[in-house]
Amino acid sequence: MKVTVERAQLLKSLGHVHRVVERRNTIPILGNVLIRAESNRLSLKATDLDLEVTETLPAEAATPGSTTVPAHMFYDIVRKLPDGSQIVLESDGDRSVLAIRAGRSRFTLQTLPESDFPDLAAGDMSHSFTLAAADVKRLIDRTQFAISTEETRYYLNGIYLHAAGSAKAPTLRAVATDGHRLAQVDLPQPKGASGMPGVIVPRKTVGEVQRLIEDADAEVTIELSQGKIRFTLGNVVLTSKLIDGTFPDYGRVIPQNNDKELVVDKKDFEAAVDRVSTISSERGRAVKLALSAGKLTLSVTNPDSGSATEELEVEYASDALDIGFNSRYLLDIAAQIEGEVAVLKLADPGSPTLVHDRDAKGALYVLMPMRV
Amino acid sequence: MPVRQLPETIVNRIAAGEVVERPASVVKELVENAIDAGASRVDIFTDGGGRRRIGITDNGSGMTQADLALAVDRHATSKLDDEDLLRIRTLGFRGEALPSIGAVAKLAITTRHVSEPHAWSLSVEGGTKSAIVPAALTQGTRVEVSDLFYATPARLKFLKTDRTEAEAIREVVRRLAMARPDVAFTLAGEERAPVTWAAALPGAPGQLTRLGDILGADFRAAAIAVRSEREGVTVEGFAAAPSLTRANALGQYLFVNGRPVRDKLILGAVRAAYADYLPRDRHPIVALFVTLDPQEVDANVHPAKTEVRFRNAGLVRALIVNALKDGLAREGRRTAANVDGAVISSFRPAFSPRPGNWDWRSSPSYPTGSAPAYGGGVAATAFAERDQSAFDVGTPTADVRFESAPTPDLLDRPLGAARTQIHETYIVSQTRDGLIVIDQHAAHERIVYERLKASLAANGVQRQILLIPEIVELDEATVEKLVARASELEQFGLAIESFGPGAVAVRQTPSLLGKTNAAALLRDLAEHMAEWDEALPLERRLLHVAATMACHGSVRAGRILKPEEMNALLREMEDTPNSGQCNHGRPTYVELKLSDIEKLFGRR
Repeated sequence: MKVTVERAQLLKSLGHVHRVVERRNTIPILGNVLIRAESNRLSLKATDLDLEVTETLPAEAATPGSTTVPAHMFYDIVRKLPDGSQIVLESDGDRSVLAIRAGRSRFTLQTLPESDFPDLAAGDMSHSFTLAAADVKRLIDRTQFAISTEETRYYLNGIYLHAAGSAKAPTLRAVATDGHRLAQVDLPQPKGASGMPGVIVPRKTVGEVQRLIEDADAEVTIELSQGKIRFTLGNVVLTSKLIDGTFPDYGRVIPQNNDKELVVDKKDFEAAVDRVSTISSERGRAVKLALSAGKLTLSVTNPDSGSATEELEVEYASDALDIGFNSRYLLDIAAQIEGEVAVLKLADPGSPTLVHDRDAKGALYVLMPMRV
Repeated sequence: MPVRQLPETIVNRIAAGEVVERPASVVKELVENAIDAGASRVDIFTDGGGRRRIGITDNGSGMTQADLALAVDRHATSKLDDEDLLRIRTLGFRGEALPSIGAVAKLAITTRHVSEPHAWSLSVEGGTKSAIVPAALTQGTRVEVSDLFYATPARLKFLKTDRTEAEAIREVVRRLAMARPDVAFTLAGEERAPVTWAAALPGAPGQLTRLGDILGADFRAAAIAVRSEREGVTVEGFAAAPSLTRANALGQYLFVNGRPVRDKLILGAVRAAYADYLPRDRHPIVALFVTLDPQEVDANVHPAKTEVRFRNAGLVRALIVNALKDGLAREGRRTAANVDGAVISSFRPAFSPRPGNWDWRSSPSYPTGSAPAYGGGVAATAFAERDQSAFDVGTPTADVRFESAPTPDLLDRPLGAARTQIHETYIVSQTRDGLIVIDQHAAHERIVYERLKASLAANGVQRQILLIPEIVELDEATVEKLVARASELEQFGLAIESFGPGAVAVRQTPSLLGKTNAAALLRDLAEHMAEWDEALPLERRLLHVAATMACHGSVRAGRILKPEEMNALLREMEDTPNSGQCNHGRPTYVELKLSDIEKLFGRR
């Protein structure tokens, strides 16, 4: 194999793929990145057995071929090579080492045979659809915060992606919950997504897609089957295993009859919660919301340090109500509101509260109160 | 007062002080005599810590009347035939035991040789022989010692309590019994429950049986057979796997040509061999038998013969280290394979039956049905923060992802097929006849450590040359010792040369150690060498650095491993020497046999 590639492009691509490689591995090949050179392009592939990222970049391959080298070391070498240099990758006949040349630098890296490299991408995908990158980003950004990190309920460790909505207005829906709060985002259902199985996309995959999407083109193609999902973002292909489990019937926890409506200015509310929660201790962090006609009083009492109170002018016309929330959860949800006004629908101090964005439709959040 | 020749009784009493130090020495001398007489059975009886009475009966060759008369005279022995102290094949040879005992106690010997028509008996009291009279005994010799040290009240005063002396006697007999599994021993007396060690077959299996009888079933289960042979010197025996250790070095039994000894050289070699396996404050349990041409060893260092001198000490040391290291590497994976009883019992249900009025329905384990997800009075789940309500999103479940049935060929591997990971730290694997719990960090740490060690051995230790050689002042003898080992130290990256009579110049230090205090290192080395004659501290420091690197370079606890990764780890453990212990000597895995599990559930 002999291939010449631009340093900046190689660095960017390696930056994408090397992230999935764990630093410490019990299986040596998993620490390596697969390099494959074909006529005018070079592809890089890395995997942790659950997740596989392949990126293709333009290159001049004098001799096609492939090999694998330690991913982190390869990345560090490329990173330290001078900017603007042309990098030549060459492996000899028995392919036991890969030579890396740029300017006057020369490295050799020990390789492992390509045949040992696991292939995750194999297998047919039953459904395929294309979304705007901005939509995928929104789907992820608005739900990611609610993903559970609790390993014993592993089926909550991801975003539940499935077809929903009515027959007239079918949607593609993402849901995440950790048992305390829930986030649900709907998109108009793209062509090809109808009848797709409900899948749980693991947290690590969600994070990787989120990072890749920053550099992505306008469109993202999503393919999926029962066990796998594949995101194609321009020249990057990310294939991931799905969480094998059943997502709970989340519909049951979304309240339908909350009649007390509170309308707040998002920025004012967020700032006020942040201010009063300064006084709260690390544990607990409950902030009390006292509602009366046209007025919201936020208060925090910490027996160890003192108390804080702030009043806000709000739209509220129902009976007076006192309810407590975890301030961090309130801030998390407030951060998801894209418009200027947030609407909270409440029932009583022990029941879930529904939050949504008055201006942006399609996203809703549910939050369980704290007893104060 | 004019100079005069001391009477023989006094001479014997003075000499006895060296041979017969305490009752245990009497037992040792007499049992050795019995073994030298070819006895296949030795009965020992003691009373009052051996002070009141010691009786030793054997079925050996016995003595003729003429022999008996001579036996109690100083320097009379049947064990040296050609006046050559270089070819000693018997335990005794000095001809001091009987007269020494006779000088300080009341001694009675009854013996029968096959050529005699009947047995003869002789008694010695305070060094005075009685006449030989006929007696009744079918075979062998019976020696009775009573009122030990009655003739030397000073020695009597310095004896410890009867209990301590009895314990010392037991220890002496244990050692002799370990050396001769083919001889049956009985140890009885008023102060102890009688112990009998039946004669076992000669050779390794018998030896292990006897060692197990004496050192306990734990030792037998953990024993690794070791053997090494070169230039006519054989080292063999059994060493306990590093999972079985003691807090002191008393569990190390060493025998040279069947003679129990305590030799610093051998103890040092055992330490060196185990250095990589044990924490510093733990000591291995070994029983090693060194066999070599009697000409190559001098047992005549001390009357009690507990010390020996080897002509080729280096060879003996190397053989011991090799034998132990080979054995440990070979069986290294075997750890506390069969979890001992203490661990098993910790598996037992910890709670006792509840008092009568306990109602399980009010216990946390009572299923509360599906609690209303919302509405009044939502019960916080165990995972919720304080007072934080939660939805009903299902209960924690075992991860179903790993439930694929293991392939049969994996089950047959020593470490089995990985089934799941628990607490993100331990791998549970299934074997044909049990289950194994593996500490993933400890196991991977050992693998990385062994790799680092191999590369150290292959590539050598890199050396940092010092800008200004460090001059360390030491005494002359130490300098000589250090310089004599300069080439060995250089292998470990420490280059020294002699700098005048009382100083050493350090020119290069191992770069692995970073900035190191050469003077302190050298003193440490010198002190250790003075005692043990080896350069262990330097090697140990380097390995400590390697161990730290291994710790950082290995999979930590808390990392989720996929089934493929777990199996890869298990397979690599099977291929790595010593993978049964982590670098700090803790076990990397424990095995629970199916039979043990069945026991827990009362199925057996």
